[in-house]
Amino acid sequence: MSPFGRLPGRRPRALHSLAAPYALDALAGTERVRFERHLEGCGRCAAEVRALSEDAVRLAWSTAAPAPHALRERVLAAVRTTAQEPAPSGGPAPARSRPHRPLFVPFATVTAAAALVVAALFAVRAHHVQAELDTARDRTREIAHVLAAPDARAARGGDAHGRGVAVVASVSRGRAVVTLSGYGEPPGDRVHQLWLMRPGAEPRSLGLFDGDTPLVAAGLGRSATSLAVTVEPDGGSDLPTSEPVVQLGLESVGFGE
Amino acid sequence: MEADELLVLVAGGDQKAFEELYGLVSGPVFGLVRRVVRDPAQSEEVAQEVLLELWRSAARFDPRRGSALSWILTVAHRRAVDRVRSARAAGERERRAARRAHQPAFDQVAEEVEAGLEREWVRRCLDRLTALQRQSVTLAYYDGYTYREVAERLRLPLGTVKTRMRDGLGRLRDCLGGVA
Repeated sequence: MSPFGRLPGRRPRALHSLAAPYALDALAGTERVRFERHLEGCGRCAAEVRALSEDAVRLAWSTAAPAPHALRERVLAAVRTTAQEPAPSGGPAPARSRPHRPLFVPFATVTAAAALVVAALFAVRAHHVQAELDTARDRTREIAHVLAAPDARAARGGDAHGRGVAVVASVSRGRAVVTLSGYGEPPGDRVHQLWLMRPGAEPRSLGLFDGDTPLVAAGLGRSATSLAVTVEPDGGSDLPTSEPVVQLGLESVGFGE
Repeated sequence: MEADELLVLVAGGDQKAFEELYGLVSGPVFGLVRRVVRDPAQSEEVAQEVLLELWRSAARFDPRRGSALSWILTVAHRRAVDRVRSARAAGERERRAARRAHQPAFDQVAEEVEAGLEREWVRRCLDRLTALQRQSVTLAYYDGYTYREVAERLRLPLGTVKTRMRDGLGRLRDCLGGVA
């Protein structure tokens, strides 16, 4: 028994101080087991660990990398023959009301939004054969150029159904990487078209979305106030012919002067 | 759809939802695992275990405790760290040189994106930490060392390392955004 063990109060405090190492997965063996047992009976520690773990996970945002294509095949094949565990006792997580996403996210969450863009990129790669990778690579290079801009900022907009638009934009480069998610393919031969909205000017087309593939919008002036997405006939329109399915202001990413 | 919603569908046995979830999280999961494990073949193995575990254990996800992506990356990190430790214990040395040797051009570009992100955001925030805070946090998180090993490597008392880790994480939160 550790000499501290006999001192009342000392041992819990010693355990508390392990919250940060635990959040970083820097405990091993019996020490980890003991701390986890302690967590079960200490609500305050559990809350603290949860907060510290959220901090630690931010460190993961910078590490995303495309998974090898063969991995996808193996995992999906395994899933078809692997049984799932039932929900833990106490019942499954109840149907929940999704918190409403704020229309604009602060710069603080830029990494999360950027990670979504990167995740979308990797999804693109998984669906393309080698011959198509050149185009994808050029686009990725363009995207990298925007993401690497010193003034790159991110914002997201969306609805309660989890559908939305994510943008990483750089004023200095006049460019934005825009990702549409959750809307699926429009019915018929229709397409999602991206528009630049400016005060006192007609909407300008920034291009057509191809599924979840990020779109690089170029030539954005400082006066750009918002982006809008509409459903248009195949090939796109000169001007929007329908109400936007989603709009996103650009003030939070430095535009809209 | 978002990872949170997909995970709920996956828990109900929806394989299509799993495919979609895979598209969203395989890059972040694989990248994190590779950063910690380093060996490409082992990274792939661990990533496969983690992604399959998502399918098996999706019902365990509790949305009240945080976002799906956080949960998934926490699981991935734990598995990666466990693997790198057992590899070290078995006397295997990291084979850093081997990685990146023959990667297709697309991966290199993707890594430029990665590097860009890191430089601009996480790296910038890590730079605001003191040297000891930064080393304590990154040796543990990116290299999978226990806090005892970190203390040995940095020749610091255990208590100091624990404090530096806590303070380092706190400063990261202030820099990267303190959404609880």
